[in-house]
Amino acid sequence: MGTEKIPSSIVQFGVLDQVLNLARANSLWPMTFGLACCAIEMMSAGGSRFDLARFGAEVFRPSPRQCDVMIVAGTITHKMAPAVKTLYDQMSEPKWVIAMGNCAISGGPFKFEGNYSVVEGADQFLPVDVYIPGCPPRPEALIEGLLTLEEKITGKRRWPRRDAGKQGGAVHG
Amino acid sequence: MTVPIRYREDETFVLNLGPQHPATHGVLRVKLTMDGEYIVKAEPVLGYIHRMHEKMAESGSFGQFLPNTPRMDYLGALSYNHGYVMAVEQAAGIEVPERAEYIRVITVELNRLSSHLLWFGAFVLDLGGFTPLLYAFDDREKVLDLLEMVTGSRLTYCYFRFGGLYNDIEDDFVTGCREFIARLRSRMPTHYRDLVTGNIILQKRLKDIGIIDADMCARYGATGPVLRGAGVEYDVRKNHPYSAYPEFDFDIPYFPQCDSWARYLVRMEEMEQSMRIIEQALDKLPDGPVNAAKVPKIIKPDDGTYYTAVEAARGTFGIRMVCDGGKGPYRLKLRSPTFSNLSLFGEVAEGMLLADALAVMGSLDLVIPEIDR
Amino acid sequence: MARIESTEQLLAQIVAREVTVSETKDKEGEVKKTETLVQGVSTVDYAKAGVNLDVLASTEHVVPIAEAMAENGFFVEAVTGVDWIKDDQMEVIYDYNRMDKEPCRVAVRVRIARSAPAIPTISSIHPGANWHERETHDFFGIKFQGHPDLSPILLPEDADFHPLLKDFKP
Repeated sequence: MGTEKIPSSIVQFGVLDQVLNLARANSLWPMTFGLACCAIEMMSAGGSRFDLARFGAEVFRPSPRQCDVMIVAGTITHKMAPAVKTLYDQMSEPKWVIAMGNCAISGGPFKFEGNYSVVEGADQFLPVDVYIPGCPPRPEALIEGLLTLEEKITGKRRWPRRDAGKQGGAVHG
Repeated sequence: MTVPIRYREDETFVLNLGPQHPATHGVLRVKLTMDGEYIVKAEPVLGYIHRMHEKMAESGSFGQFLPNTPRMDYLGALSYNHGYVMAVEQAAGIEVPERAEYIRVITVELNRLSSHLLWFGAFVLDLGGFTPLLYAFDDREKVLDLLEMVTGSRLTYCYFRFGGLYNDIEDDFVTGCREFIARLRSRMPTHYRDLVTGNIILQKRLKDIGIIDADMCARYGATGPVLRGAGVEYDVRKNHPYSAYPEFDFDIPYFPQCDSWARYLVRMEEMEQSMRIIEQALDKLPDGPVNAAKVPKIIKPDDGTYYTAVEAARGTFGIRMVCDGGKGPYRLKLRSPTFSNLSLFGEVAEGMLLADALAVMGSLDLVIPEIDR
Repeated sequence: MARIESTEQLLAQIVAREVTVSETKDKEGEVKKTETLVQGVSTVDYAKAGVNLDVLASTEHVVPIAEAMAENGFFVEAVTGVDWIKDDQMEVIYDYNRMDKEPCRVAVRVRIARSAPAIPTISSIHPGANWHERETHDFFGIKFQGHPDLSPILLPEDADFHPLLKDFKP
């Protein structure tokens, strides 16, 4: 997404903005947008073992009007892409996109020479905030992706990384 | 329950179910022509997750297609792995050692358990109950841990190789399996039977809903629990035995009621039968190698056309492979069970209430990437 | 076994047996006659081929075979297309199977011309073949004559390409 500082709204509230961002980051409501295999790992992340609820993100809303983040989990095909774009457009601001899994990042295992049906990455037509690699990524990776998104929104990480700087993890742009 | 529809053409409206919908279990779109709450015509629209598996098979070698197989039906991935590996072994004449066959059966049945557990959770979620999903996922995590121990992945396992397996199992896998079966058996009566199967609301929502009888199954080619819920005792593991299944003593559950309740009961019983198979396989597990002695680096099957079928969690998964001496298959047709199972939905859903149609879709156990391949 | 034999006889009545005889000279200069089956029913080894009966037929046999199979308790498991670009032909393979305790798998293979490929539909006899034929049309462009609705099923609605042809360029 670049490194330019894009203001979040025309009216800036100062400290209130930080509080608002903290509130937004701690209650990211994802949209139920599981397309393929990564959707199952998303469901597992919402289950009781990995528990997205403790990050405020357990409430998966089917309606795009009621959610903040679209987790594109799975392969996007040419037939499905207009529907994805429509749903993204219907989400109300502020909204974010997480590309979960190799297919949403770059077409994944379905990128080959005779490709006629798979869109090679969600960022071909959506502004992606966080990329979570994996095929499928573990639920812990999805949680790390959400924490990275929270860090992007608030500027602060919820708790420090174990080996700060050396560890791999989700990439945010 | 279906009612005879008397409607005027201009009094119906088209309701679009999907492709993004929490209850379609993937990207399925159903164009419903509705008369109020009753469905006049249901037309499934597919292709929203068409990932070109058959074209990819032609462009690579036999081994390069292996990672595609678990991504077709990611819930019962090992059955698809098994089917493809069996197809190539059948064509190339590779013999699999006995220990590998037993471990294949153990892991496939564990996968069937995890697939049915997820089906159970998602099905009851569609009907409105959230708690069984959490219980089912809790048990399913145990299975995923066991399979991660041997295969290395949680969901899309690519564990089988031509002539055997990727690696052997350890003792802690065997003890883990036995502990898991004991745990699931102890939870079945309370968390599954009393809470869900004995629940009067669930029974009222499923009994006499979505009658799919044996004749309809034969006309559409429906297999698996859909067929067994119609009273037909057909299972590829018994009718066309393969791998190590002839060594085990298990039943094929089938119920004659032909409704969603019968299909529900079939899958619950299949879970118990899978546990029986795993126990027997663990008791009888032979020693030996897990890979065939001589597997050529480049697989060269004889020219011809071959057919293999396995019993996946959703029905008969068939592979028709045409080989002509290339580095990979000349044509690989994947006969997915859900494709045929869903084709009868248009006929079943006529005259149904919308909520009942969703119950029927859940009882068909759809996994859309398997339909679209 | 009895079921396989009775089905073989049933199908042999519909598909007449035709062979081509070719003569080759082996190393000693002796003439050897080899028969290749061009049309007809043959029993194959189930362990190798995965089917019990392999039927080579042509387009006029497709519907009679489908009717005979439906009357005798078979169901359509799959309909496949194969693009034999070297022979300038396409092949449609029908897989039939049974649901009772007498296993018998039958594969019916029909070769058609590659340019303007057409074959009669069996979807009025076996409704399950409806979607399989739509998919084969999607992938290969084979027209199933008499099919109620050959619109794309797996490809986008406005797709005008047939991806599984061997000379397809995306």
